[in-house]
Amino acid sequence: MSKTVIQVDNISKLYNLGTIGSGSLRRDMQLWWQKNILNKQDLNQEIRDGRKIDTNDHIWALKNISFELKEGEILGIIGHNGAGKSTLLKILSRIIKPTEGLVRGSGRISSLLEVGTGFHSELTGRENIFISGHILGMKKAEILKKFDEIVDFSGVENFIDTPVKRYSSGMYVRLAFAVAAHLEPDILIVDEVLAVGDAEFQKKCLGKMNDASCQSGRTIIFVSHNLQAVSNLCSQAIWLDRGSVRARGKSKAVLNEYLGSLHKKSWIKEFPTLREAPGNDRIRVVYVELLPHLDDPLSVIDIRTALTVKFRFYNATDNIVLSIDLLLFTLAGECIFDIPSKPEIYAKGMIEGECTIPGNFLNNGSYMFTLHFSKDTSSELFNYQECLMFDIADYRESTNWYDKWWGYVRPDFPIILKPLTILS
Amino acid sequence: MNKESNGLGLKQWEWEIKPETSWWDIGFVELYSYRDLMVQLARKDFLALYQQTLLGPFWALLQPLLTVVTYVLVFNKIIGVPTDGVPPLLFNMIGITLWTLFSEVFLQISKTFSQNAEIFSKVYFPRIIVALSTLWLQLLLFGIQLLLLFAIYLLFVFKGQVEFNAGRMLLIFPIIANTAGIGFGGGLIFSVLTAKYRDLMSLIQLIIRLLMFVCPVFYSLSMVPEGVRWLVNLNPLSSLFEYFRFAFLGVGSLNDLHLLYSAGFMVLIVFLGILLFNKMSDKLMDVL
Repeated sequence: MSKTVIQVDNISKLYNLGTIGSGSLRRDMQLWWQKNILNKQDLNQEIRDGRKIDTNDHIWALKNISFELKEGEILGIIGHNGAGKSTLLKILSRIIKPTEGLVRGSGRISSLLEVGTGFHSELTGRENIFISGHILGMKKAEILKKFDEIVDFSGVENFIDTPVKRYSSGMYVRLAFAVAAHLEPDILIVDEVLAVGDAEFQKKCLGKMNDASCQSGRTIIFVSHNLQAVSNLCSQAIWLDRGSVRARGKSKAVLNEYLGSLHKKSWIKEFPTLREAPGNDRIRVVYVELLPHLDDPLSVIDIRTALTVKFRFYNATDNIVLSIDLLLFTLAGECIFDIPSKPEIYAKGMIEGECTIPGNFLNNGSYMFTLHFSKDTSSELFNYQECLMFDIADYRESTNWYDKWWGYVRPDFPIILKPLTILS
Repeated sequence: MNKESNGLGLKQWEWEIKPETSWWDIGFVELYSYRDLMVQLARKDFLALYQQTLLGPFWALLQPLLTVVTYVLVFNKIIGVPTDGVPPLLFNMIGITLWTLFSEVFLQISKTFSQNAEIFSKVYFPRIIVALSTLWLQLLLFGIQLLLLFAIYLLFVFKGQVEFNAGRMLLIFPIIANTAGIGFGGGLIFSVLTAKYRDLMSLIQLIIRLLMFVCPVFYSLSMVPEGVRWLVNLNPLSSLFEYFRFAFLGVGSLNDLHLLYSAGFMVLIVFLGILLFNKMSDKLMDVL
């Protein structure tokens, strides 16, 4: 059994908005004078103390966070912007102090909250490797030993004696990350550093982190918006939501819950009366729903999931040649497909329809459906744009490629390879 | 160090992060382990100071030289401040060299938080390391200026205008340490204050300028009228300048009690500075 290397015990962080940030000596002296000499309470203070402390000028960035990590575990921290992820990392990195609670641990801890911390743009790559290495907590002997390896990893050998201000931004980031990647702490804290660099470099970095944990038994705490990376790298995950732990456990389960919460709401649209329903005096769409074919209703739509779109609309025109198109767009607005229905004559009244998109067809990403209604296959009756929005999560087996899979679609057509015997 | 053991009951926790830093909790062992960083930061600042400049490190020499020339022109040639029979150039050079040490140490260390906020918000190391590296760099630059002072001094010694005494000269080391110490301690206190109250930054320039006028930098204590001499003596730096000049020239109004006052003040301000800096440095991260 491996040992616990870090224990976070009930930490909270309170930020004062305004009061200490006033930055004015006069104001603070006034407050001090009123409080300690005149024994008068500041009026704002009084109201605040009378009630809960959670008023407008205070915010609990973190509230009662507890967890433990064992040696060699990789913990992913996910959550929306402002959920407290960075605050938590800063406390663990000893940059800021918690307001309450305690963190205890064993072993050397290093944090990478940004790439290129301590880089000086006027100095050469060589100088900066030493500066950054030292700031991140490496010893001189360590840097000397790994110097060649670092230069090699960064791929900027030819420019190592050039001031880094003349580097391209890509080179700069690569060099900065190369230093960081050669840290050998017992606990590594990483924040979003993978958001930089090109795809190939990102892959290299993720691989490096994976190695660090698997081979060296390093414990890693990792914050990212790249859920793919979290799911592939991390064994454990924590979902932070407005300063509190919303879910904690195996990374797959936490991620599914997180993704589920993100988009479940927009999977169904139903309108009780025709008046409220979107449309015009010819067409009213009263119901649209996306029904993923999932065995477990809590799990998430991934690329293997078949999807059924169901819809119901009111047709206000009698004896009309009606056809509808189901269109799928990416979030960027590119059309993936346009499936038309067979044009037929319909009487006035409610019409229901459905269409199923098989699994193993779409690539992972965010998509929107649009329903388009037309008369005589040529004139538009109504275009219901972006009626359903949903995410498809990634799923991969037997690959070490962590980066975004290329292409709009990802059909599962088999490729047959046959080794040929060469006659010599 | 925490006595409670972890899950296995075999090993104690090596470190812990608590809401408050106690006043006395100064990790000297930890500080020592960061000594490489201290040297590296000083090196970086030194290199960066003279990157893409015409004269490079010669600026460290040119700066006091130009100041001295100005002072000699203004105070000695125009106003006519007497210099106790010492060549005005040497007299001013001695004062300005020591003054530059104090003012630079004080000013640069008081910028510790405001200039390193970016790094401090991204990575942890004992913050006082930055102050120590600044002190180190300033002592190095002072060393360069001291060489220049010696060169000029020897010139006057060979001309027979002043007299060299090796025993007397040894005095400069404790004096330098004392001066740098006052700058260091004061700088630490002001680094905390200016981090919290930005408006104090402009006050520092004013303090330095005012201190210089009540300090025998370009005049000697003996020229100060009896009535206001107490004001100059109140300045803990004053006796240091008299002793420093005495070490070179053999003239000056010496008073051991005043020197003791300077030394006591230095110990006190360094002590207070370190305590305050250590106590506040984590808290300040919330307001930086």
